Formats: sequence, structure tokens, C-alpha cells
Amino acid sequence: MRIVVCAKEVLDPDAVNNYALAGRLEIGDDGKTITQSAIPQLINGFDEQGIEAALKLRDAGADFTLTVVSIGSDQKSLLKHSAAMGADEIVALRTEATDLDASAVANILTAYIQSSGGADLVLCGRQASDDDQGVVPALIAEALGMALVPIARDLELKSDTLSVTRVTADGDEVVEGAFPAVVTVSNELGDPRFPTAKGKMAARKKKPTVVNVDELGLAAEALAPKVKLTRQFVPEIQGNCEFLTGSPADVAQKLIENLRAESVIQ
Amino acid sequence: MSSNAIVVVSWGEGRDGLPAGAVEVLTLGRKVAAAAGADLAWLVIGPASDKLAETAGQYGVASLERIEDAKLESFAPDTLVAAVSQYCESNNPKALLFNQIEETRQIAPRVAGRIGGGVVTNVIDIDASGDLKVTATAFGGDTNVVYELSGASTFAIAVNSTALVAEPAEAPTNPAAESVSVDLSSVEERFAVTQRPQAEGPRLEDADIIVSGGRGLGTPENYKLIQELAAALGGLPGASRPIVDEGWIDSSHQVGLTGKITRPALYLAAGISGASQHMAGCSAAKVLVAINKDEAASIFRYARYGIVGDCLEILPELIKAAKS
Ligand SMILES: Cc1cc2nc3c(=O)[nH]c(=O)nc-3n(C[C@H](O)[C@H](O)[C@H](O)COP(=O)(O)OP(=O)(O)OC[C@H]3O[C@@H](n4cnc5c(N)ncnc54)[C@H](O)[C@@H]3O)c2cc1C
Ligand SMILES: Nc1ncnc2c1ncn2[C@@H]1O[C@H](COP(=O)(O)O)[C@@H](O)[C@H]1O
Repeated sequence: MRIVVCAKEVLDPDAVNNYALAGRLEIGDDGKTITQSAIPQLINGFDEQGIEAALKLRDAGADFTLTVVSIGSDQKSLLKHSAAMGADEIVALRTEATDLDASAVANILTAYIQSSGGADLVLCGRQASDDDQGVVPALIAEALGMALVPIARDLELKSDTLSVTRVTADGDEVVEGAFPAVVTVSNELGDPRFPTAKGKMAARKKKPTVVNVDELGLAAEALAPKVKLTRQFVPEIQGNCEFLTGSPADVAQKLIENLRAESVIQ
Repeated sequence: MSSNAIVVVSWGEGRDGLPAGAVEVLTLGRKVAAAAGADLAWLVIGPASDKLAETAGQYGVASLERIEDAKLESFAPDTLVAAVSQYCESNNPKALLFNQIEETRQIAPRVAGRIGGGVVTNVIDIDASGDLKVTATAFGGDTNVVYELSGASTFAIAVNSTALVAEPAEAPTNPAAESVSVDLSSVEERFAVTQRPQAEGPRLEDADIIVSGGRGLGTPENYKLIQELAAALGGLPGASRPIVDEGWIDSSHQVGLTGKITRPALYLAAGISGASQHMAGCSAAKVLVAINKDEAASIFRYARYGIVGDCLEILPELIKAAKS
């Protein structure tokens, strides 16, 4: 059995938040790129939880090889971290293209999976914390002809089926079906483990497999973006906050009175 | 239906019998269709209320199209994807507009993948004067991005309808309901539901009043202040993600980008900093009240009323005042 986790490198969302909160988030002269060089690149949090989901299956006794694959121009630290967590194989799909859209990303990941022996289970994050799109996994599922099981908090391997606990608007739902499948992982899965000292040692020796995207034999149209980012900007938030002051009892009284006067509450 | 139409795609019956968010998305769809010089169609899948035709007319729909099939009595993703994809193959619409609920996240991109279209989610505005240009949120809302859509005949667009206000058309239409024929006989759901969600009472998405707490509450025990105030105001308790991740309260209470997207009349946030990913789930509230001990907290930028202070001192007073 083979499990492939797709992992994206993103700007640290907490650092982006901090710049945004301070009103100092900057977009470069191209009108579309966040330029602050102090914002580090990290593995997308949900993708790290995708690796954690696979490792939990291993802890529960499942036997498989775990491949972590990432598209980008320099994935060294993301892949080292994945290996330190417990990935058996780490794969960099290298491209200098900066205008890949979700369809192109999905086509590349699909072509890699197909050319490297396929997968029984593809794990992705529920969404990337930079573009927030959450569409690449569904596009991979369609391209591979696999079922899609989104927003998982727990996975369980039965003898030859997969049982997934999903987070839905109405509460948790459990679904069960056959392999192969694409499953997306959500934060409800729990925090990813920290690499152990032994894991870090082993990762140091592990070399990433580097595949140039050109070698995957994709047609130009499979890589041509249909969704092109033309502009990025920091939206303005119109504040008109009225601050209530006084003792806790005073402000509470004032607030409730105001809300009642405006018929917001009874 | 003529090709190149703008098609709003809906399923499910919400609180008022209509699919959730449908009238908001129809309002945007009408604007897009007018700018693109295209027809506005409404594709409704599965069981629906009698109000459908009347609503379609009020919102200026040119054609109301129905897909009904025993396999679509309840949400069935593989079947729904097959149905919408077959519809696209015979009608070749320019854009499919979906209300972005959690279910949409699996339907919209899969349809796009199946028919070789493009897909965008988190959309808050659409400009259709030339090629389609859509504005979407990114980084949880820290930034907005504009995407230009071209190079595919159909685009699936998931719209964040809480950012929109429903407006009936100036000139109502009188669309006849047409039945769309699709062949779903060979489609089988690959994953079967073995345990249905046990929805416990009313949902945050439908609440008029929400009182939410965050890390500023300090300890899990203090979350009961949030529950008490919510009860005293006749509302529901919500939470920021960190305290859900810490297990203070279960994830059905999480408000935000990856939690519930709410649209209450009143949202009261105590000990919540106002990170964009949280605000994505509550900034559509009519009145937002923030209690935070840091006067520079971002949440005050969104608030109608602000209280700078210790929420552990203020919440008990609010509970008293609300009960009086
Ligand atoms: C991809 C992604 C998705 C996310 N999705 C969500 C989501 O869906 N929902 C969500 O909520 N978050 C989400 N987050 C997390 C989000 O970025 C923030 O980290 C989170 O919202 C912060 O929660 P908080 O405001 O409770 O905590 P903090 O940011 O730690 O803020 C605590 C606040 O409490 C105040 N405070 C402290 N003590 C007191 C006191 N005694 N009285 C009054 N105020 C006090 C502090 O001044 C501070 O402002 C997501 C993050 C990412 C990267
Ligand atoms: N460049 C990439 N390399 C590897 N996996 C990716 C990449 N982009 C997206 N993914 C996967 O697809 C998921 C959803 O991404 P998105 O659709 O961009 O929100 C991510 O959480 C990853 O699992």
C-alpha cells in the first residue's frame, strides 16, 4: 500500500496576520505579491496534519510506504521536515513557473502519482492557508478517477475499506468506502507530532527525489492557467467603533440598553 | 437554455424552504448575466419547495431548471457531480455560481475537474464586463485577490453569500420550470454514510444572536460565562479556533474561515483578537460587539460597540444586565 501526501509551502499565516493587524502588510510593485521578506515560508498547516494522519494510521498498525510530494522551486526544508516526521520518500516536483493555477497543480500532482506507481490513498490539506481555495484535492480526485472525502478529523483502515470521520456543518459524519481515495485533512485531526531526534537524524541522510515538471510529459494546455491572479490588495476595514466606558457594571448596563433600544435584543 | 448562460446551482432546503444563500447568489448572478449579456438560469437539484417558481420570478431568472431523481433525495456527492456535469455538457454555460457551503467545496471543484473547466472559491464579487474577473479573499481575508478567468468554456464559482445582500429584480420574470433530463442510472456513491451527523439543536449558521469566546477567557472553565450570556440573550455560544483546538468546546462551535460562516443580527466577541480567519466567519454580523483588554486589538476595527477591559469582569455584569 502507498500513501501520498501533497504538501504546499506557504507564507507563515500568523506572520501575515501580524503584519495585517499592524496595518503594515505590503504588496510589491507587480501589484500581486506580498513582499515582506521577513515572513518565513512553512509547510501548510493542514498538509502537516495530512502527514500526521498517515502516521496515526501507521501507529494503528497499517503497513504502507509514505511519500510526501511538493511542487515548487525550493522545497528542501519542507521535505526535510516531512522526512523527520516519518515520511519514507520525499519528492520535489521542480518548476520555475509562478502562474500555475489549481488545475495545473492538480495535473502535475496527478501525473507524478501516475508515473510513480500510483497511490491507494492521497492525503491533502483541506485548503492552502495562502490562497484558501481548497480545490486542488478535488481536481486530483477527478483526474485520477478517485473518490473524494473532504474535511477529515479521523481515518481508520478496516480490512479492505477506509472509514473516515468528517466534520460537517451538522456535526461529525462517518463514511466508509473502498480504496483508492483522496482525503483532505482538517485541523480537528489534532496537532502534528514534533520530529524526534532519531527522526531528524534519519532525515539528514534522506535525499529528496527531484523530478523536473517538464519530465512528466504534460501537454502545454494541462499547465496553462485558466484562473490567473492579476491583482492582490489589502482590503480596507471601515471602523466606526463606539467605545463604552465606565465600571464593568456601567458598560454592561449601557451596552444592553443600546442593544435593546436598537431592537437587536429583547 | 442557450449556451453561455450564467447558471446559479442550488440544492437542499434551508430554513425558509429555499436552498441556503440562493437569493443572495441569484442577486449576484443577475448582475453578472446583465453585464455579460447572458441569460440567468437557476438549476435546482433534488426536492424543493413550491416557493421556487415565485422566487425565481422575483429575482429575474430567465429559466428555472430542475433535476429530480430518486438518487438525489438527500445530498449524494458522486451523483450530484454527475448530474451537474451532464447538465454542463449539454448546455455549455459560461459560469456556474454556487453558494459556498461546506458541501459546495466538494461539488464545485469536482464538476470543474470533470468537464475541464476552471474553479474559484471564496468569491465576493464578479465583474463580467469582459472576460470574467472575480474578487476572492485570500490569507483568511488579510488580502483580496482578483483572478481573471479565461481559457475554459465553463467556470465553477463558489460565492461567499454572507458578503451579499439579496435584492429582488426591478422587473420580475415569469420563468416556467423545465425539467432537465440526466442519466444517473450508472452512478453509485463510492463512500457510504455509516453514521449520520447527530445535529444537536439549532445551528450557529442560523442563529440571530451569537456570543463567542476566545483565548482571552484564560481557562476552559471560563467558557461557561459565554454559554450563560448566550442563554441569557436567547442566542448560541461560539468560539475561536484555538480554544476548539485545545478542547475547551467542540468544533461545532468554531466560527471562522474553517468553521461556521455566520450572519447574526448580534455577534458579541469576548477575548478574541480579530484575526482575519476568525472574522471571515462573523464580519457579516449586523452589530458586532467586542470585549478585549487590548485597546489596539484588531477586532475593534470591525466592531460597532467596543469595551476595553477584562472580559472576566465584564461578562458576569452582562449576564446580570441581560437577565434584568
Ligand atoms: C488556515 C487557517 C485557518 C484558520 N481558521 C480559523 C477559524 O476558522 N476560526 C478562528 O477563530 N481562527 C482560525 N484561525 C486562527 C486565527 O488565525 C487566529 O489564530 C485565532 O482566531 C486567534 O484566536 P483568539 O482570538 O481566541 O486568540 P488570540 O489571538 O490569542 O487573542 C486573544 C485575545 O484576547 C485578549 N485578551 C486576553 N485576556 C483577556 C481578558 N482577560 N479580557 C479580555 N480580553 C483578553 C487579547 O488581548 C487578545 O486580543 C485559522 C488560522 C489559519 C492559519
Ligand atoms: N504546490 C503544491 N504542492 C503540493 N501540494 C499542493 C500544492 N498546492 C496545493 N496542494 C495540495 O492541495 C491542498 C489544497 O490546496 P488549495 O486548493 O490551493 O487550497 C493543499 O493543502 C495541498 O495538500
